[in-house]
Amino acid sequence: MENKLMLQDVKKTFGDGDQQVEVLKGITLEVKTGEFVAVVGPSGSGKSTFLSVAGALLSPTSGRIMIGNQDISTLGTKELNQIRLKYIGFVFQSANLIPYLTVRDQLLLLPELEHQKHKEAEKIADSLLERLGLLHRKNHYPEQLSGGERQRTAIARAWMNDPEIILADEPTASLDSERGRSVVQMLADEVKLREKAAIMVTHDQRMLDLCDRVVYMEDGRLMSHPSVL
Amino acid sequence: MFLALREMKHAKMRYVLIGLIMVLISFLVLFVSGLAKGLASDNASSIQTMTADYVVLDKQSDQRLNRSELTNEQLKELLRLTHKKQMTEFGLQMTTIQKNGASKKTDSTLFAVDPKGFIAPPAAEGQSLKGADKNETVGDLSLKEEGFVIGDRLKEETTGTVLKLVGFTKNQSFSHSPVFHVSLKTWEAMHDGKQSVNAVALKADSEKAKQIEKQVSGVEMISKNDALKSIPGFKEEQGSLLMMIAFLFVIAAFVLSVFFYVITLQKVNQFGVLKAIGAQSGYLSRTVLYQVLFLTIVSLVVSILLTFTVSQLLPASMPFLLNVPLVAGCSVLFLTVSVIGSLISLYQVIKIDAIEAIGRAS
Repeated sequence: MENKLMLQDVKKTFGDGDQQVEVLKGITLEVKTGEFVAVVGPSGSGKSTFLSVAGALLSPTSGRIMIGNQDISTLGTKELNQIRLKYIGFVFQSANLIPYLTVRDQLLLLPELEHQKHKEAEKIADSLLERLGLLHRKNHYPEQLSGGERQRTAIARAWMNDPEIILADEPTASLDSERGRSVVQMLADEVKLREKAAIMVTHDQRMLDLCDRVVYMEDGRLMSHPSVL
Repeated sequence: MFLALREMKHAKMRYVLIGLIMVLISFLVLFVSGLAKGLASDNASSIQTMTADYVVLDKQSDQRLNRSELTNEQLKELLRLTHKKQMTEFGLQMTTIQKNGASKKTDSTLFAVDPKGFIAPPAAEGQSLKGADKNETVGDLSLKEEGFVIGDRLKEETTGTVLKLVGFTKNQSFSHSPVFHVSLKTWEAMHDGKQSVNAVALKADSEKAKQIEKQVSGVEMISKNDALKSIPGFKEEQGSLLMMIAFLFVIAAFVLSVFFYVITLQKVNQFGVLKAIGAQSGYLSRTVLYQVLFLTIVSLVVSILLTFTVSQLLPASMPFLLNVPLVAGCSVLFLTVSVIGSLISLYQVIKIDAIEAIGRAS
């Protein structure tokens, strides 16, 4: 099966001179089409940095990153911007929606950034909202939504530009377990339905059964089993 | 525009309030500018409306029209060096005028001009000056409001000459007093032929002016603007108003830049998210710029309407003059200043890193 995302011995070092800190110590990961991978680990293990590097927000110090068939490890800021816009969907902690946009406008912002036609985009947005059960909320502002609805809106936004891969940064952090579960379920369903891929960083153990694969992050390394059980 | 308009719509109160401040500041700018212009014209419209490029003065006059005195030799020299139609001499004198039979005295300035020369004022009402007739005068329209009518006999205080008012002229004042124009012949007769002229108005380019200044001894050539500045009180009046206007522009720039700076700081996280999902810095900067421009333009339109409304309500005696070039100039300057004020926010927006979005609660 085709790889949606591939990291090959990716290292990331912060600081310079004597103060160097190696946060990612050689990470190798392949995420295939239709796969939903969870990354679990204690805080300070490098999860956020991993997500930033995989999500084209940070360039790696060394190693190779492929999204689809494209090598993004050596691209500049502007190109990375375009990669994020076209191939990556983000779901952030506690939604991070734009407070002055209605649910529908949150979605329409993406085609606006890509200078695409509005008519088609409106159709796509409406069908996404319908599938995620948000159509009755489409003219509401984030402040009027419940936590779960916000996170669902964020998921709808992440799918809006039809990305190859979704990166979720603790999407259930601000939700109770029932709502959190339904949000993750939704994410998993969409991944299967669209034949894309997703990575979710979380320390919520209850959600792991919804994922196809769980990898553990410890001290800048990924492993398939936790070192301490 | 997508983000800019939606945000302003959502946070109406915030933007209405800052817009209101901008309206007040720009209103003050326009109002003080109108006042400055009005005062300038009230002070010295006789010089302002003169269709001359240069004024020739006596070198010892310290650039003051009323102190200058040109000799006949100098006049002859000037006439030799320039075409007759390009120059015209004039005299002026501060005086008081008394309507025959009335006790009230009016401060005014007497201008002696060649009725055929290019600085002779056209009549707005009644007749204009004619060379042949002696002891006739035309006065500024503001005198009409003070009860002067055509046909009045007016006594000039210093010489006791009685002048006949034959017409009114428009926009003729000097040092905040209305101007009476008389012909040079009348002027001579009033002073028994002893009074010479103060200055010569000249139409010439700067090169020619310099050349003339060199060749005629004891004269100084000053531009019309310098002549205006040399009128007692003119420079001081305009200077203090101009300083107020300049400060208002600086204040406007600061108010806008602080407002947008604070708003941008508040939105660092939001801009981070936008950049993370793929918005370019340029797109976000444009959003801020659109908001600044939108706010400034709307405020300007409101304050221009406000200023024109207020100017209609002002008493006629209040010197206030607002014309299209002045308003346009102020508006352009205001827009420029607001864009400069937004630069600090634009820099802020560009500096924000998309990484702000990761690992953070909103």
